[in-house]
Amino acid sequence: MEFLYYFGDVFTPVSFGLLLLGTIGGLILGATPGLSPTMAVALLIPFTFHLQPVQGLILLGAAYTSTVAGGAVSAILLKIPGAPANIATTLDGHTMAKQGHGAKALQLSFLASAIGGVIGVLLLIFLTPVLAQWALAFGPSHLFWLAILGVTVIGSLDTASVVKGLLSGCIGLWLATIGFDDIMGAQRFIFHPALGGGINIIAALIGLFAIPQVLTMFAKGRRNEGAEVIEVQKHSVLDAMREVLSRPRALSIGTITGSIIGLIPGVGGQIAGLVAYDQTKKFSPEREKFGKGHSEGVIAAEAANNAMVGPSLVPLLTLSIPGSPTAAVLLGGLLIHGIFPGTDLFDNHPDVAWTFINSMLIGQVLMCIFGLYVAGLAARVAQVPQSVMAAVVLGLAVFGSYSVQSSMGDVYVMASLGVMMYFLERFGFSAAPLVLGLILGPIAEANFIQGSMIANATDGLGAYFLGGTLNILLIAAVIASIVYSAWMELRSRRYTSKEEIMG
Amino acid sequence: MKKLVAGVALALTALTGGAAIAEAYPERPIMMMVSYGAGGATDFQARIVTMTAGNEDALGMPIAIINKPGAGGRVGWNWFATQADADGYTLGAYNVPHFIAQSIKGGVQYSTDSFEPIANWGADPAVFVVAADSEMNSMDDVVKFAKENPGKLTFSGAGLFVGHHIAALQLEKAAGVKMAYIPTKGGGAAAMKAVIAGEVMGGVNNLSDAFRAQEAGNVKILGVFDLERNAFLPDVPTLKEQGYDIDNASVNFRGIMVPKGTPQEVIDKLAASVPEMFKNGRVSKKMDAGGSPMHIMTRDEVIEMWAAREATLKELLAGL
Amino acid sequence: MSTPSLPRLQHIIASGLVAVVGIWIAWISYTQQPAEAFLFPRLISSVFVVLAIWTFIKALMGWTKVGHGLTVHEFANLLPGIVIALIYIFWAAKGLGFYTAGAICFFILLSLYDPAPHRELRTWIRRIIITAGYTAVMYGLFAMLLKVYTPREILF
Repeated sequence: MEFLYYFGDVFTPVSFGLLLLGTIGGLILGATPGLSPTMAVALLIPFTFHLQPVQGLILLGAAYTSTVAGGAVSAILLKIPGAPANIATTLDGHTMAKQGHGAKALQLSFLASAIGGVIGVLLLIFLTPVLAQWALAFGPSHLFWLAILGVTVIGSLDTASVVKGLLSGCIGLWLATIGFDDIMGAQRFIFHPALGGGINIIAALIGLFAIPQVLTMFAKGRRNEGAEVIEVQKHSVLDAMREVLSRPRALSIGTITGSIIGLIPGVGGQIAGLVAYDQTKKFSPEREKFGKGHSEGVIAAEAANNAMVGPSLVPLLTLSIPGSPTAAVLLGGLLIHGIFPGTDLFDNHPDVAWTFINSMLIGQVLMCIFGLYVAGLAARVAQVPQSVMAAVVLGLAVFGSYSVQSSMGDVYVMASLGVMMYFLERFGFSAAPLVLGLILGPIAEANFIQGSMIANATDGLGAYFLGGTLNILLIAAVIASIVYSAWMELRSRRYTSKEEIMG
Repeated sequence: MKKLVAGVALALTALTGGAAIAEAYPERPIMMMVSYGAGGATDFQARIVTMTAGNEDALGMPIAIINKPGAGGRVGWNWFATQADADGYTLGAYNVPHFIAQSIKGGVQYSTDSFEPIANWGADPAVFVVAADSEMNSMDDVVKFAKENPGKLTFSGAGLFVGHHIAALQLEKAAGVKMAYIPTKGGGAAAMKAVIAGEVMGGVNNLSDAFRAQEAGNVKILGVFDLERNAFLPDVPTLKEQGYDIDNASVNFRGIMVPKGTPQEVIDKLAASVPEMFKNGRVSKKMDAGGSPMHIMTRDEVIEMWAAREATLKELLAGL
Repeated sequence: MSTPSLPRLQHIIASGLVAVVGIWIAWISYTQQPAEAFLFPRLISSVFVVLAIWTFIKALMGWTKVGHGLTVHEFANLLPGIVIALIYIFWAAKGLGFYTAGAICFFILLSLYDPAPHRELRTWIRRIIITAGYTAVMYGLFAMLLKVYTPREILF
């Protein structure tokens, strides 16, 4: 309960001002395509040079929480996921926006974010010592199996055909191997200098999601009929709250998945949203509504990716190990002020530690209030004429993918992947499994190579990858996931195979 | 319309592109490429040492950090050697011995001849760490275990042909043992996590990160891979003191360079002003607070250091 | 059925191309050295090839639903836009500078796809105003707020 004691520090005028600034700034940065939370926090670090440690951290903490939620704005309105965390949000969120329910989608996403986020931070506050041990329990073999578990959901994610889903996933896994291999330093599939750095995940995300959408708008041509204008429906915040609370399954699956996955160093928030989305879909009786603008999809994805914020800082704050890229940047922000995370932080600078954590708690609430306030207005983006929209999204895609690391190569990769994805989408392939493969590929590979090196020096491959309770549990989960998908596929085939054959 | 625009564009490039860079350099913000991810030790230090660049007594223009991480730095340096504009507005951070070792090993598009050093800001020695609950308490314990179990002592480091790997090779050579070096993906932080979590028995890591981890009570530091003890760790002996013939070849020197072909006047101007920029009191205060040792060297000193390092590394890596 | 329908034909071509890519990367993976570095690509490409050929056969036999395909009409609509977008991305952005090329491309695309009549002066004024607004917002966001380091502009 120590954290309550430091609550006052958050509400001094300067601190609260910074908190507001961080929250609003974070929402804007998060909504900018190409700016992942990591980059946004890195951009803010220089501002903290001039501040007290506590104030600097308030700014960074608020910015971290709100950039993660802000990514949902561009995901829903423009179908450009701001970060890997927001991929799952596009699936149902953007569909809702296209149907004129943008305001509702944004409200749901902010409310779900806030609920998931607050629970995540509370976990950080109360269970840190326990969670730290759990975070360390994941070695290379476990992370490898975890990545494989992620691969197994590829087939069932946002696609009509399991084979095409798996094939999309394979394309993603292959794309991830392009570039220098990280451990040996060998060059793989570098056909063009732009690929020298491998495929940047943010640039790929922008290309795979935004460009097909731009091309789809082009393909509709110069239309004059007014039928295209979308009626943006108003949606009251109270209704949105009722909707969120009436979906406890999506909310709890999202929050739990996000918290657990966020905790594991090296996997982090990248896949939290997607895994939560997939789980919710599997457990939902309204499975067939997913991907067509179903509120559960948005709630699960956003609850998960904000729930991950708190736990993702556990390894950093207790053990001084940054578990995610954003945590690494935050570590830099702490070090600049001479504060070392770890026991030192809680023993010698409890004011800094608890004010930082409190600021994330208040930040979640402020983010939600501010987000709800602008949701109705922001949703009007859907009314922008198609010709303007296509040109704007194209411009944002170019600037966004360039700004990731000031590289033209990333822009070329973004455009090439985007055009390819447009044509693949016309034939039943889908971007979400491809992206999941792109994210999971390097995790699986690096941990397999590293694990096998350790195994060869010690107990041997079999014992290392197959032994131990955690390994066995994960393998069981992998098998269960495959069996479940196969069973669902067979069952749905029996019912729908007739209608599927056409053309 | 399109043709006209293109024509005008070409004409304008011809007009402006040829004009030499005036003495007014720098006229616009400068970018600096760091070949490691945001939040890593190199990135963190680069951001601190360049924070005063915009002051009138330094360059008068801010320096923006651009991260191009991947494959132990190869991605960034390849880009820097082949694609960066040599106009003085694109700086790069170097890590010695990393890029020199990689260029000797081959498979990259750069060598010491591809770059012009400007100045060095820091020197971060490698240290040997074990988990706090490890039974090993000195380098002798480590070597004894390795002698009894050849190839079975696992220890982590941040990749192949980086400072940590050089230190590991030196240790194996000096002690005459075979050990299992495990390169991790994700830099020093991931290598440190492997040690703390007990995935490996020990590890080579940056002094600054190890110092912090020791303060947090997570690891023990058994030796420093440098010629002298470090001011941050006065109680930790060097490897040499413990009887292993290891010099400072693995010390991670960090500094600023430009691509070959940058105008000489620009190089001279940078070489004169950048070391002064590093000496700013605010910079050293922040670096000190973060546990990062500073070591300022001028352009001439760095040229000498690169050459010396290249000779040592060629010899060390010859057998691989 | 004698000749496959247009979407079916396109589907066969598309899945055939994917299969060719799969075979090609598998061939690269199995021939390149060092073998350790290509362990994963080999694994992935093997699965890739199997799945791609399966999909191709399914497409060939017509056992699967084919997606929407692309009509000739849609393709005619798409072509000018995609050509301009690609010129913008692969040449103009670097050649003319980000903001210059961005504004020009935006204006051309807007004029191409805007349903408002081309003959009226008002339409053109509106398009110029929208382009100017767009460029100003992009410049404010990326150059001033985020200080993104872009290649030199050709005009300023």
